Amino acid sequence: MPAAWIAVGIILFGVWCAWPQDAPVGSPGQVVVTQRAIRHIEDRHWPDSPAQGAGKFASGITEDSLRQLVNEAVAHGRVRHNTNGRPGQIYEFDFGHPIGIAIDGRPAYRLRVVVNKWNQLVTAFPF
Amino acid sequence: MHLDYRLSEDWDENSTNLAAADETDLRYYAATGDVILRQDQSDLSARWGWIPLIDFALALRKIAEALAVTEGNETFEFTESDATLRFERRGQEIIVRGSYASGEITVSFTEFSEQAREFARRLDAELRAKCPELGRNSAYQDFRLSGLSP
Repeated sequence: MPAAWIAVGIILFGVWCAWPQDAPVGSPGQVVVTQRAIRHIEDRHWPDSPAQGAGKFASGITEDSLRQLVNEAVAHGRVRHNTNGRPGQIYEFDFGHPIGIAIDGRPAYRLRVVVNKWNQLVTAFPF
Repeated sequence: MHLDYRLSEDWDENSTNLAAADETDLRYYAATGDVILRQDQSDLSARWGWIPLIDFALALRKIAEALAVTEGNETFEFTESDATLRFERRGQEIIVRGSYASGEITVSFTEFSEQAREFARRLDAELRAKCPELGRNSAYQDFRLSGLSP
């Protein structure tokens, strides 16, 4: 009997270790937007970002409007598994109007949203 | 084919707790830099500074594994744009094309596999020397960058 309780304890400890400790977990269809993800997107994809080869949001983008774009893409966009063995999902949505600039300099109408396996936002960019 | 990388000077290894970083952290935020991929006049290099190199090494290995068993196409999607690298196996050769650059690279599958393996091995060695805390990261250990061959 004690051995069974030890086994239960080991399993529960394993589940606890596998669970993200420092960020909330989103439910299906609801993405958790962390400040880290916001900072990452600002660094790469904000209109004044110097990062080359990365889509840029249109000027006037704010943290609030980014959240709205992400939520709309996740609610109405096409979803697929991430590629090349990366964990998580990719959502893509065509807004029907420019939301930024693609890497070739043309207007970008679509948004790609990448979330991890806990539905936390990883990155998002126009293309 | 010349396949290489350059870690970005902008990557601050102290910005992330590398001992505790999870799989997504390592594949999207860590060890960013440039990928150099060229042959003769064809240059498919991606010198954008932000390419997560651990992710690139893992993806390349997965692509080599997939193309080892069958002819066909495999696509690498960059993490921060819709740019892609497309790998097509025809017989004993691999043809590489980029959506963001003209030209193509043709290389034997054997050389492609060896270069993908060597890319991962060199990156692993440099990262472990630069960031010893990665040696305590179970997610990074599970990648076995130096240990698996396509």
